[in-house]
Amino acid sequence: MFWPAVQGFWLALTSWDGLSAPRFVGLGNFSDMVSDPIFRTALKNTAIWLVLFGGLSVVGGFGMALLLQKERRGVGIYRAALFTPVVFSLVVTALIWRVFYQPDGLVDTVFRTVGLGNFIRPWLADPDTALYAVIVPALWRQIGYVMVLYLAGLKAVDPALYEAAKVDGASAWQRTRYVTIPQLKGVNSVVLSVIVIDSLRSFDIVWSMTKGGPYHSSELLSTYMYSTAFQSTQLGYASALAVVIFVLALAVILGYLIRAFREET
Amino acid sequence: MTALAADRRTFLKGLGLLGAATLVPGCATSSKSPGSGSAASGELALQSNLSSEQAKAAMEKLVAAYNKTGGSQVKLNTVASEIFRTQLPTYLTSANPPDVYTWYAGSVADSYAKKDLLLDVSSVWDSMGNYSKAMQTLSTSSAGQKIFVPTSYYWWGMFYRKSNFAKWGVTPPKTWAEFVAVCKTIQSKGIPPIGIGLGDTPWVASAWFDYLNIRINGAPFHRQLLAGQGNFTDPKVKAVFTKWREVLPYFDPKGKSFPFQEATSALLAGKTGMFLIGTFFADSAPKDALDDIDFFQFPIIDPAVPVAEEAPTDGYFASKKVQDVDGTKKFLTWLATAEAQEIYVQNSSGTAIPANPDGKSADTPLVRKGKAMIEGAAEITQFFNRDSSDALQPTADAALTKFLDKPDQIDKILADWQAAAQKVFKA
Repeated sequence: MFWPAVQGFWLALTSWDGLSAPRFVGLGNFSDMVSDPIFRTALKNTAIWLVLFGGLSVVGGFGMALLLQKERRGVGIYRAALFTPVVFSLVVTALIWRVFYQPDGLVDTVFRTVGLGNFIRPWLADPDTALYAVIVPALWRQIGYVMVLYLAGLKAVDPALYEAAKVDGASAWQRTRYVTIPQLKGVNSVVLSVIVIDSLRSFDIVWSMTKGGPYHSSELLSTYMYSTAFQSTQLGYASALAVVIFVLALAVILGYLIRAFREET
Repeated sequence: MTALAADRRTFLKGLGLLGAATLVPGCATSSKSPGSGSAASGELALQSNLSSEQAKAAMEKLVAAYNKTGGSQVKLNTVASEIFRTQLPTYLTSANPPDVYTWYAGSVADSYAKKDLLLDVSSVWDSMGNYSKAMQTLSTSSAGQKIFVPTSYYWWGMFYRKSNFAKWGVTPPKTWAEFVAVCKTIQSKGIPPIGIGLGDTPWVASAWFDYLNIRINGAPFHRQLLAGQGNFTDPKVKAVFTKWREVLPYFDPKGKSFPFQEATSALLAGKTGMFLIGTFFADSAPKDALDDIDFFQFPIIDPAVPVAEEAPTDGYFASKKVQDVDGTKKFLTWLATAEAQEIYVQNSSGTAIPANPDGKSADTPLVRKGKAMIEGAAEITQFFNRDSSDALQPTADAALTKFLDKPDQIDKILADWQAAAQKVFKA
């Protein structure tokens, strides 16, 4: 299980086209990265993706969970509806949304109906909108998933705490802020790990919608790694990119865990 | 409430099944691993990228016909063309590779021969004396061995609907000035004159680069540039883009969003005027519409430059590691016969022309005209990736789509392109 990972680290120090023997270049791949404009775009986009995709899916998922936690008539239908996108494979999701984004497709029609016809552009082919146009369907799917995690967390909160807070005269906002959120700490760390891992490996949806294009404007580190490895067959450089992704994921998650431990002790 | 909960549970169960169902085909495609066509002796594995419906059916007929001749039995394994392209290096380097592959002639085949991965098929060429000199050159590696067996070629041209041109009152242009005039007329009718399809298939833009470069700077310069002996920041390359800019306002703005198949539909539906494309587009066009289709040669820009045309050559090569060398060569020899190539032409969309001069192409005015254009050309080029390598193509895709979007930044685009290409040539 660990051998391929170790081998990846070794390949990151080589120049390799997949055919001839790997040639050792030391840290050459990493110094190339510094001057590689596509790498910088990919890094920036990955950060945007982490913040927007991660942030909005936490906010959205948590909000939906709060709204739908109470057992009311028909609430199950709403929960199921929000969860449905999760069961579709990402590639299928991408295909559906590509149809929406087509010229004169659903998105354009909606914009025209609400009188925003001037804003219409080739969503996936415009470098200014491509990345955001891909984040939307990714969110559409992720929010349902995060909601389920939070719903489970909310179910585990002891109702006695709410009653006690109510008796003390706490408003609905105060109950959420001082009871619910602190109680969800355990779920939060799970959600955070899931989100960070999901955003760093978000590959399939970007690849099937834009392939990182137009001209690398929606490139993430993961799609850039794939295209350098399998389209340009620069496997050494691609391995170096993989190492960067690995270090980033590890740093974010370790950072959170260390903070969480410190708070506990 | 409980009844509702139970309903929900069954509903979710149903969803789960649905999810599982969508997962299963996903698994099936991903398990298509390299070397799946490993051959026992007496059986040859043929790895084919001809995955579009008509071409695939033609390949099945072709293999069935060979298997009746009593040589080694050939097993056809068709892989989606995009997957095939990315997996080809893996196939060739695996321990037990498939034997024979469909692929392209020219420097793209030579790039594999340089790594010593291809079988020397010089003895197959003993029976191919009637093939043209150009075909021989394309099939010879830089080490002087024959490594490729060409079986067909096709052409690129500016395709249009005859009825629409008549309606708009335009005739096929011959020179660049006439071409610009035609664009102006079509635009005045409210139709985007030049169709293109870059979403998913950005390589289609390379046809414009190739043609403008061979018309302005000539084929030898073009080939050297793609072989890494030139520089994309050369003023001669910039001249290509200056010319291209003159017709940028006539491109269909929607073309950035959809692939060439949809650009084909747009052309057939009269939503665009003309489309620079290879004849393979016919695979995604309804047969009845094809009767109304005609093409003209890419306009001449500088009459002093010898006329070159893009005529990509398709065919086969074999892995160096084949076990049954005689059987493989026998199969390749058969593929080079006029008879075999006619079987393919008759059963596919019919726009490919047999590489064997004795082979009969489909007898339509369109194919006759295409064949005459190629035969009259002073020089032949293949296509961007075929004249360079599959690794250089993505650098062109990025540069050209960016140019179509932001022509002002041409100097920066060319500098970036040169840097990206440099990396590929060094790798």
